[in-house]
Amino acid sequence: MIKRTYDWIDERLNITPLWRDIADHEVPAHVNPATKMSAFVYCFGGLTFLIIVTQILSGMFLSMYYVPDINNAYYSVQYITNQVLLGNVVRGMHFWGASLTIIMVFLHMLRVFFTGAYKAPRELNWVVGVLLFFIVLAFGFTGYLLPWDQKAYWATSVGAQIAEQVPVLGPYIRLLLVGGSTVGALTLTRFFAIHVFFLPAALLVLLGAHFLMIRKAGIAGPM
Amino acid sequence: MSSSEDPREKLSDAPRHRQTYRDLYDGREPFFPNFLLKEWIIGAMFIVGFLIWVLLNKVGLGSIANPNDSSYIPVPDWYFLFLYQALKYYPGNGEVFGAFLVPVIVTLLLIFLPWIDWSKNRRPFKRPLATASMVLVIIMMSWLTAEAWAQHQAEVGGSAAGGSSSSSSSGLPFAVQHPTSTALMATSMPGYQLFENTCAGCHGQNLEGSVGPELRGIGNVASSSQLLPVITKGFPPNMPPGGGLTNKSQLQQIADWLSQQKQK
Repeated sequence: MIKRTYDWIDERLNITPLWRDIADHEVPAHVNPATKMSAFVYCFGGLTFLIIVTQILSGMFLSMYYVPDINNAYYSVQYITNQVLLGNVVRGMHFWGASLTIIMVFLHMLRVFFTGAYKAPRELNWVVGVLLFFIVLAFGFTGYLLPWDQKAYWATSVGAQIAEQVPVLGPYIRLLLVGGSTVGALTLTRFFAIHVFFLPAALLVLLGAHFLMIRKAGIAGPM
Repeated sequence: MSSSEDPREKLSDAPRHRQTYRDLYDGREPFFPNFLLKEWIIGAMFIVGFLIWVLLNKVGLGSIANPNDSSYIPVPDWYFLFLYQALKYYPGNGEVFGAFLVPVIVTLLLIFLPWIDWSKNRRPFKRPLATASMVLVIIMMSWLTAEAWAQHQAEVGGSAAGGSSSSSSSGLPFAVQHPTSTALMATSMPGYQLFENTCAGCHGQNLEGSVGPELRGIGNVASSSQLLPVITKGFPPNMPPGGGLTNKSQLQQIADWLSQQKQK
């Protein structure tokens, strides 16, 4: 039954080559932790992706309860933490996952750096990776404001002040981020929109490019 | 043995996906399911470790954001601490350098790394400059993070021990004492009425301070000419420039009156 369904779809859409290409491509022994335990450093990239997937999932569940306005944001986070079933676990995953994502991205970058894997023909993938690193940092910066507690508010105020120091464009960057003269209602909705719409879009596009490029150029050879 | 010498190559009915001798000798294997299964073992351990950490470390929630509480000592999340700390070493105009030029240069170096470290050598010891630079960057980032955290802890500890009221770390550039005499002085000056109408909402009808810091005895530590620029600049976002006043002579009158508040 399953096979007949699959064949029916495959006859029409020819999906077999798509997944066979992913399944059959060969992975060299020097990145295989089963061949040599020290190869686990090559797993950092995959683990980064894994933790990003858990971030997306926990974020999707948090957005069911979170309310992005200054009167309710704090109380909705309080409600998630204290009332919602497993809410504190989901929030904990998202909170700690943010730090873990940054740690894993950094470790992955160090692995690529010290094994010289960014060299030709993989230069463009390094550039995309650096952009992804900044996207992840932007996720951290915008997400930090959303609980709307004192820590969040004042960290963002300082961040906005620092952004203002940029010559010429500084005040405009600050206005674009903050949306007014002080961190307030507009800042919160802005950061929420950036955190859940703009950045995920950029992240998914760049991740797609990142994976496509590593398939095209292949994994760098052994040291 | 190369695959062309493999006698089974010639069999026309041989299955398409089979292990060749080359596979057996260099340890290559298909991504799915062979390799992914092994990577998933690492992934599973990673997720389990992460979940244990999440369950053991509950996330708290501070008190609700209060834009008027200027006494709160801000601190960014830990991964921005190194940047935050680095900025402290660029006072005044240097902040443009620290907050803009240095980060932009570092970002460009990072993005264009493949064209800077362009040699074909991949081993870390064969390209000592790149390796040494990255090691140095890691050490500096760790040190700056640790230093920022230590300074923040000292600041928080200091303000908790230093004063009970929020006005103790007001951000005022003058050390305000807490005089025992509370009577207002020179209430016939025009600045008095202006203060009561504009400033008293935050600084108190009798300068006792509430949202803004206490200003009793401010005349002992600051002159009118010292106070005027401070008032004019304000403390955004907590105190708007001039406390909301824009008329220069009114600001001067307030500064004149405040400089007369010499309560002991």
